[in-house]
Amino acid sequence: MIVVVGVSHRTSTLALREALAFPRETLPQALARVREEAGAEEAMILSTCNRVEVYAGGLADPAPIAAFLAAHHGRAPGELEPHAYRLAGEDAVRHAFRVAASLDSMVVGEAQILGQVKEAYELAESAGTLGSALATLRHRTFAAAKRARSETGIGRNAVSVSSVAVELALKIFRDLEGRAVLLVGAGKMSALAARQLVAAGATATVLGGRTFEKAEQLARALGGRAAPFEHLRDELSRADIVISGTGAPGTVISRADVAVARQARGGRPLFLVDIAVPRDVDADVREVPGVFLYDLDDIKAVSEANLRERRKEAVQAEQVVEHEVREYLDWLRSREVAPLLAELRRRGEEIRRGEIEKARRRLGTLTAEQEQALEAATAAIVNKLLHTPTVQLKEAARDGRGDVMSLIRRMLGL
Amino acid sequence: MGSRVYLLLTLLFYTGGAVHVLLHAATRRKLLSLTTTTAMLLGFATHTAALALRWNEAGRFPAVGLRDISSFLAWTLVLVFLVMWMRSREDVLGLAVHPTAFLLLVVANLSRPEDKADPYLQSLFLPVHATLAFLGYSALFVAFAMGVLYLIQERELRSRSPHTFYYLIPSLEGCDRTGGRAAAVGFPLLTLAIVTGMFWSAAARGHYWTGDAKEWTAVVAWLIYLAMLVARHRSGWGGRRGAWLGIAGFAAVALTFLWVTVLASPVGAAAAR
Repeated sequence: MIVVVGVSHRTSTLALREALAFPRETLPQALARVREEAGAEEAMILSTCNRVEVYAGGLADPAPIAAFLAAHHGRAPGELEPHAYRLAGEDAVRHAFRVAASLDSMVVGEAQILGQVKEAYELAESAGTLGSALATLRHRTFAAAKRARSETGIGRNAVSVSSVAVELALKIFRDLEGRAVLLVGAGKMSALAARQLVAAGATATVLGGRTFEKAEQLARALGGRAAPFEHLRDELSRADIVISGTGAPGTVISRADVAVARQARGGRPLFLVDIAVPRDVDADVREVPGVFLYDLDDIKAVSEANLRERRKEAVQAEQVVEHEVREYLDWLRSREVAPLLAELRRRGEEIRRGEIEKARRRLGTLTAEQEQALEAATAAIVNKLLHTPTVQLKEAARDGRGDVMSLIRRMLGL
Repeated sequence: MGSRVYLLLTLLFYTGGAVHVLLHAATRRKLLSLTTTTAMLLGFATHTAALALRWNEAGRFPAVGLRDISSFLAWTLVLVFLVMWMRSREDVLGLAVHPTAFLLLVVANLSRPEDKADPYLQSLFLPVHATLAFLGYSALFVAFAMGVLYLIQERELRSRSPHTFYYLIPSLEGCDRTGGRAAAVGFPLLTLAIVTGMFWSAAARGHYWTGDAKEWTAVVAWLIYLAMLVARHRSGWGGRRGAWLGIAGFAAVALTFLWVTVLASPVGAAAAR
């Protein structure tokens, strides 16, 4: 059975997660220890800043994994008790699927988690702790996560500052091909947003002040050009999208600057994103017609609304995941019962053969007709006797009735 | 009886298209799916058949009486949609057009056909004038709808806490451009409709200009669209003002239409009776 023990942003503090994290370089060793110390056949460890989880195959109970997790980090077993979840079987599978589908993420629908899960499996594979159970789980997990993502909108609306800026730009402009982006200040956040805009076909101009070199560097990286800050009004009249993020203490772009630029723009809209704190753009700029100004608070409001949209979609994604969990479990159970049925059949055949031999010895030589009758009669007895247990086993497997299955097993001495 | 059945079939198809586009809007999925487009295309085909049969049954061009008028208007509207959508692939067109076509078809199916003979209506001016006018109305309706969507989206963007429409409506530029194109198509059609209307009036009653209300509203609408197109041509962007002009122009067009179809007016009233 597959078990999982872990802590996540839902159950623990960041401090605890930090203490329990597995640095990448220690992972192969830790994976080996899961097998040696906890007696698991297979192991996989997912360690990100929002969760630390140990998956194991071939255990009936998650307790040894919980003990390992505590011991490995030098904690008393009871210390993790209130924060760690211990799941087994169906619950563990469901958890694995939900995590990969980003339904358990802090930001629902974020895309990184799938990559992190992928990496965790790759590490387990190269450490040699991936067996058939976890390998199948891996395959099913990716299938479930991809379905949840492509069939619902959990990943649809932007939530990070730079991607919200791009989304807003696309709510104003039809596309970004050939749009002029003006960066005021060469900060990291501006660069991030600009890179996404440029990737969508926009061209960038970076305005530099005292540190003109920095502006030139960023311009080169973006395949655009740099201009001195004194050209602000000129550049404003040419720009479609302005991203301002200087460290200046006061206003950098005034209402007058924008009004002048607007005159030269002939009605085309101007989209300004002010990601500076304190703000670069005069708040009055909002009142200029055809000008759309967003500061960090506004971006946050859009991001929150988008997150609400994602949570609505998450309801559907949960259904997709649930469906995938059912399918996987059905498959697992059908596999579980197959060797049992084969064994049952083999035992029946063995007894039949034995009895035929005994009968032959007693009866002496038989005619072909008699031989045939003996075969047919014994085969019919075995088949009729095994028919009901076979059907019952299949049903019990389908319904997940482990108790019925073990009862039949015991009755048949298997 | 033939046209009745086809008109009912058309209603079924358009209902499918309208319900589908609204459902997709509510669940934030891509507005126009293959199902919607197929339903509208099939509907358009049965609709065309219904109009042809009706023309034959009535013995005159089917643009007289509430039933024929709403049916024909829905047909031109779907035609305008199909042409514009093929060119721009702006799915939001369907959000404006499909439910409207559905409502017009409901009205058409519920009203009784008008079969009174009238010498005015045998004139060749009826098909020419009505086709030009209805195509124009339809294109201008699209410009109106895009104007409304533009203003809503602009409001959403300015409110900085997006609601449903933020997610539904495409970019401001998309609305602006599609609305501008629709007006650019609708304006010459409206011009030709006014001119043929004047000729019809002259042929029927000897006056090009009678000075009644519908003529004045038509001229006001024409002037509004002229202003809108000139402004767009000069700045390349209609914006808020363009959106408002599109709405105001359509209000004038709608008044003209109501006068023709509902209220007294020599030629139009004959058409309405």
